[in-house]
Amino acid sequence: MSSNATLRRCVVFLFAAVYLLVGVPLWYKLTTIYRAQLPMDYIKSLHENRFQDVHMTIPVYIKSNLYRFPDIHDAVQIQVNHLLNSKRQYVPWSLQILPYDEQLLSGEQKDAYHVVELDLDDFVGYYLPYDTKRTVVYFDDPSVVANDLPFFVAQTLIEHTFALEWDHLSHQGHQAAKRNGNSISINYSPNVHLSISLLNGDGTPVAWEISETLVKYFTPFREMLSPIVNFTVDTSIVFHNDLNLHTLSNSTDVTWQDLAHVIDLSELSSSVYYSEQNALNLAIVFPSAKLSPQGLPFINGTGGQETTAAGDNWDSFIVPQWGVLIVNKDPLEENTKLKESYLSPIMYKFAKDIFQLLGLADTVEDLSSLVITMDSFKRLTILQNMDNAVETLWSLLKLTESFEQMSIPLEVRNNVTEALDLRLAIVDDLNNPELGSDAVWDDLLLKSNRLVQLCESSFFHGEMVQQNFFPQEHKVAVYLPLLGPITVVIFIGLVANLKESNAKPEDQNKELTKNEEEEKRALQEAEGLHAVDGEDEIVESTE
Amino acid sequence: MRCSMRSIAVAVVALWCAVLYPAVSAEHTNNWAVLVSTSRFWFNYRHMANVLSMYRTVKRLGIPDSQIILMLSDDVACNSRNLFPGSVFNNKDHAIDLYGESVEVDYRGYEVTVENFIRLLTDRWSEDQPKSKRLLTDENSNIFIYMTGHGGDDFLKFQDADEIASEDIADAFAQMHEKKRYNEIFFMVDTCQANTMFSKFYSPNVLAVGSSELDESSYSHHSDVEIGVAVIDRFTYYTLEFMESIQKNSTLTLQDLFDSYTFEKVHSHTGVRTDLYERVPRDVLITDFFGNVQNVVPDTTQDQADQQLDTHNSILELALDKYGTEIPHQDNTTTHHNDQKIKLTHSLNGALAEAPRATATGKLPGLATSIGVSLLLLLLLATLTIPCQRVQQSVAQCNQLFNY
Repeated sequence: MSSNATLRRCVVFLFAAVYLLVGVPLWYKLTTIYRAQLPMDYIKSLHENRFQDVHMTIPVYIKSNLYRFPDIHDAVQIQVNHLLNSKRQYVPWSLQILPYDEQLLSGEQKDAYHVVELDLDDFVGYYLPYDTKRTVVYFDDPSVVANDLPFFVAQTLIEHTFALEWDHLSHQGHQAAKRNGNSISINYSPNVHLSISLLNGDGTPVAWEISETLVKYFTPFREMLSPIVNFTVDTSIVFHNDLNLHTLSNSTDVTWQDLAHVIDLSELSSSVYYSEQNALNLAIVFPSAKLSPQGLPFINGTGGQETTAAGDNWDSFIVPQWGVLIVNKDPLEENTKLKESYLSPIMYKFAKDIFQLLGLADTVEDLSSLVITMDSFKRLTILQNMDNAVETLWSLLKLTESFEQMSIPLEVRNNVTEALDLRLAIVDDLNNPELGSDAVWDDLLLKSNRLVQLCESSFFHGEMVQQNFFPQEHKVAVYLPLLGPITVVIFIGLVANLKESNAKPEDQNKELTKNEEEEKRALQEAEGLHAVDGEDEIVESTE
Repeated sequence: MRCSMRSIAVAVVALWCAVLYPAVSAEHTNNWAVLVSTSRFWFNYRHMANVLSMYRTVKRLGIPDSQIILMLSDDVACNSRNLFPGSVFNNKDHAIDLYGESVEVDYRGYEVTVENFIRLLTDRWSEDQPKSKRLLTDENSNIFIYMTGHGGDDFLKFQDADEIASEDIADAFAQMHEKKRYNEIFFMVDTCQANTMFSKFYSPNVLAVGSSELDESSYSHHSDVEIGVAVIDRFTYYTLEFMESIQKNSTLTLQDLFDSYTFEKVHSHTGVRTDLYERVPRDVLITDFFGNVQNVVPDTTQDQADQQLDTHNSILELALDKYGTEIPHQDNTTTHHNDQKIKLTHSLNGALAEAPRATATGKLPGLATSIGVSLLLLLLLATLTIPCQRVQQSVAQCNQLFNY
């Protein structure tokens, strides 16, 4: 009897112990939302001063083709610094003016750095070639005599060669860009898909030499832009689609609003079917011979450089953030094959428009010095990526603070940590005045793209959504049917056992007292009967 | 010559900017639509018709299917009780077959869940989520969000399984705003007590309209005897009626739409929330949300600019020069086009005066030496004709310059 009670007690206590020591922590562990710790203070400080640790330095080598000026780089440096300090900078940056290094700037590295060449001429001026990163500064002797040359060089570098940096990285320029934006170009993405379509208003068979044309003209273009953007291309012929332009076949005076209201690009806006984040389109449209037998009279035909048998003149239109429309005046004849001679001017036009659509060039002047523009674009994109990355991290931080029920997976923290480390690595390279070749900027651009990707994947992590619409009372509602009965059984059992344990000593005492009284009574009765034999029994029983 | 060329270039840039201005002034460049029917089963036929009415409208006005996210159970068109298989009508006259043309349903059946809806808005997916089922908007996107189903005070049921609270949608919008995933949102909801669904919104640039106020039902329009159930709700019926008159070039505004909702028509009190919205509905075109009007910019002026600057400096030429295989490489690096030299019109602005001057020293080799000597001789000659003070200054500087 006694051993059973002990066993019961042990079992009850064991259940209670398992419930409290294993069950409760396990339940707590399994139901608690995991929120990894993010480096909040660091991200906050970065947000408050985005480029606190950045001072981008671009090395520029200076070379005199005629006179030898041993200390011209020092003089130009002073003038450059002075000029840069005249405008409040949003992103601190400067030029490191260095004497020309024959050894460094030879062979493959010849065009890798910015070089200023000083040429004696009959006037003071400059020239920015479109195919190299050189800046030629012309000077005359009076300018040397008056010692104005360092300033002329500095002025040329800051206001012309590095005009994009000068404009965009100043506080004023940054505010203006933020205010106005650029609604023509797509957001920068390292991968862009190009979709090239030939649209025939009729169903008559047509063909085009697009493959040969692309290989000849577009492959070099893609290669040239490959450090900035990786293009993938697809081509297609679409029949019975003139983008609804036949509704304008009787109009001669068509405004851009008319075109905007009529053109139906819905069949060509299929960017979701490409894996790249962004897509640009080139659509070459021929009206339908049936619906527009006289062609499209509002097309002036200024686009085509030469008239071919395949197609007549065309006009070109840019559709912001979408691509380029080439609208032909006349319908295509049956079984026409569009030759390379027709397609090549379009390729020239498209290449130029791509610069605009990518945001590489805002003005005509940017297109006149292409290599320098592309170089500046890389730097601006690196800084823009860093800015975006910090902005995203700050948004992530605000999000996690706003939504306390949102989980923060460990992967998010790892990504954030990696992103911050990567950012520091980029800053180190940006600040290093010795680094500044094409390879360095390309590498930094890749790193900054990776930085953006890490931050984006942190913000858009798939697990950071589940608890948002799952309030605490739902959790109680889910777990109560399971945990309620178990809790009730264990704790009532425990309480009952404890009560039983507390009750036993009193009962035993009571039982003992009762036995003693009975024994006394029996003894008295036995003494009264003089039962000697019975005495022995009584004695035994009392022992 | 050089000045004239430069002035022409400046003029061309100005002209170009002027031409671009209308496009630049537009606040959004793309339109998206999220259309959700949260009900399922045959007796909720009207909710399918509601959402398909909106689908028909936005598609007709130019939003491509790739930019329409359609969430509906899609279980009525081919339901065995449907006497008109493959068709969904909004009216017993069967004038408009809402299902007739191609309908691309992105989330079908049991995929229509609160979780998927929130994920869609916040774009939080696993990596294998296809792009066609994602809301790939940016800061230039105007989004039209339409929801219909069975709702109550601050909630909307999703297929009798779960429900979304108005706070959830408000929080999702906040996250979208945080990550610049929209320019403007127009939220329309047709359900009982619909106006409560946007009562918790707090993000900017969100305009909302609902079919009924708190403690008020939203009613169906009419039943079709042949179909056997109510075919559409009143609010959406009159919205579609209004939209059928809209074309892409329509100048009607959202205020016109709101004014068209009367109690006599809808049988409930519609609500509009404008306090979060920067613009006035009277200034907002219907097509700003229901259509996709692409700006078109003629770029002929750019050709003129190119011709004015330098015809052979085209981008493709550069690419062909550097990376082309068929066209022989021409080294332009040593060619300076005299007509491209730009005269430096400098303004010293005091910079030179304050900054220390460079001292040019060193020996001039070869031709440079002879030029230097000639220059010296010229300067010596000049001392005979110009005032002494300036000559002395020049000679001093030259001596400093050509320090043999």
